[in-house]
Amino acid sequence: MITSTIAQGLLWSILGLGIFLTYRILNFTDLTTEGSFPLGGVVCVTAITHGIHPIIATLLGMLAGMLAGLTTGLLYTKGKIPVILSGILVMSALNSVMLFIMRTPNLSLLNQSKLFDILDDWHLPPYFNVIVIGLFIVILVIFLLMTFLNTDLGQAYIATGDNPVMAKSLGIYTDRMTILGLVISNGLIGLSGALIAQNEGYADVNKGIGVIIIGLASIILGELLFGELTMLERFIAIVVGSVIYQLLILIVIKLSLDTTYLKFYSSVILGVCLIIPEISRKIKQKQGGHRV
Amino acid sequence: MKNKKLIVAVGLIMFVLIVNFFTSQKDQPQVKHKDIPEVGILQYVSHPALDKIYEGMIDELAKEGFIDGETISITKQNAQADQSKLTNMGQQLISKHPDVLVGIATPAAQSLANQTTDIPIVLGAISDPKAAGLVASNENPGGNITGVSDQAPVEAQVALMKQLVPQLKTVGVLYSSAEDNSLSQVNRFTDIAKKEGLQVKHYPVPSTNEIAQMSQVMTKEVDAIYIPTDNTIANGFQTVVSIADVANIPIFPSVDTMVDEGGVATVGINQYDLGVETGRMVSDLLNGTIKTEDTPIYIFETGDIIINEEKVNQLDIHVPVDLQEEVTK
Repeated sequence: MITSTIAQGLLWSILGLGIFLTYRILNFTDLTTEGSFPLGGVVCVTAITHGIHPIIATLLGMLAGMLAGLTTGLLYTKGKIPVILSGILVMSALNSVMLFIMRTPNLSLLNQSKLFDILDDWHLPPYFNVIVIGLFIVILVIFLLMTFLNTDLGQAYIATGDNPVMAKSLGIYTDRMTILGLVISNGLIGLSGALIAQNEGYADVNKGIGVIIIGLASIILGELLFGELTMLERFIAIVVGSVIYQLLILIVIKLSLDTTYLKFYSSVILGVCLIIPEISRKIKQKQGGHRV
Repeated sequence: MKNKKLIVAVGLIMFVLIVNFFTSQKDQPQVKHKDIPEVGILQYVSHPALDKIYEGMIDELAKEGFIDGETISITKQNAQADQSKLTNMGQQLISKHPDVLVGIATPAAQSLANQTTDIPIVLGAISDPKAAGLVASNENPGGNITGVSDQAPVEAQVALMKQLVPQLKTVGVLYSSAEDNSLSQVNRFTDIAKKEGLQVKHYPVPSTNEIAQMSQVMTKEVDAIYIPTDNTIANGFQTVVSIADVANIPIFPSVDTMVDEGGVATVGINQYDLGVETGRMVSDLLNGTIKTEDTPIYIFETGDIIINEEKVNQLDIHVPVDLQEEVTK
């Protein structure tokens, strides 16, 4: 059971990595997430049921997420709609897009091939196919992100997030950087949605509800536990944070608490995590005896 | 990587994985020794109809001699419509090596079906298990899944509507565009009602938030409202009732609980009875008298006629005498 929870943590961590690109680097709360996540699953599952190979179907799910991000980016930069509102508009519209693609609110993958079946010949213990593929994809994603952020383009992207005014004065096209960030971020979110839909065996238009919390949780847990980090370490911390969040949920379920109120527990977990740094800062201040 | 805590954390996760890799292979065929049978129930969300199914099932199991905590151990998980938690909850149930699993509502059943192909799964309240991709066919499931369908007796419902509202011409169907179960029922209703010479208008809503406006619009355009078995509308049903009341439009829901809450009448499968049938299947599986692969999905042919007296008077609807005798009170 721990194995499958870690496996899920790996798949969810891609969502966390995607959200990190906008939430932390650009200081955006991009609500497109709750639409692009199920969209990735919907496109992927629909493609598979039409006989498309799972690898290509997964990539199509990612591509769909990128298009969603592009739409939000254009609304924000060219349409001058505030970013939260742009995200909400796209998220809400995607509900209809998904219904149009699937022609039904819920589509099952039962008896269809999935990405994780590729390793069937290896005869791994249960859930290890998800672990192997999940790890492979997470490492690949982190490698590509690191490569990207170390290019001139990536540096310009980070500069845009740090200080858009200065970035503009340096001749960086900040609008383009913003769109780029939203595209990559939502592409990853769509990828995560496609992987999770395959792991859970179905796509559903309502799957996006509350996923932004899961993504933020992995980012926040990672920051809380490991403090100051380099960029590579932060990415790894998000993956670890995602695994730990899934383990925390597992513990809540395991404790046989009434899971009717699970959302309350997960909010409490997150709330506590967000408050801890503030409390420890206060304590340190008292011990240090001076205020800044 | 320089951060020591991070290295430790990654190392720890890797360690757990490696240990599990070498131990889990041996564990697989091992079946835990148990004194009493174990049943795991995964419910998608709480609302009156689904809760009634659960109640009926527990009562029927008790009647068959399976009393929770004494002769049987029942574990229930409720995802409260959060699909991201269904997998975790399903795993928790499966880790207890249950003898039978029960999935109430489609996403819960799909999540269970995806996680095990050998533990028997009983479906509670899935309109069309084949369309949901859960079984090979409703007559001959073929795998580890069978169960009870909550497909409503739509023919009887249309007949009842025509009987109660003889001048009926246009029916508006209010349903959620995000639910699989309602869509198939809406299509069946449309076919049957059209054959009966009625005009059908569709009013899909994406969520409970749009119910109020949609009801406002539809009460201007139709003579009666039909509501399929739909979780979203069930949750926002009071809105529909208050708006339909103002316009004096009768509501014909598919679920008995919705008649109590302000609908006019229905031929409904009693949700509690659905639960009883589900419970019977669970107990038959526990007793070993049936097998999932050759047990057809149970579909109710007829239902109870339920009429809301208060609403009938309020709307001045005349209930024919022969119908009055059939009514279940």
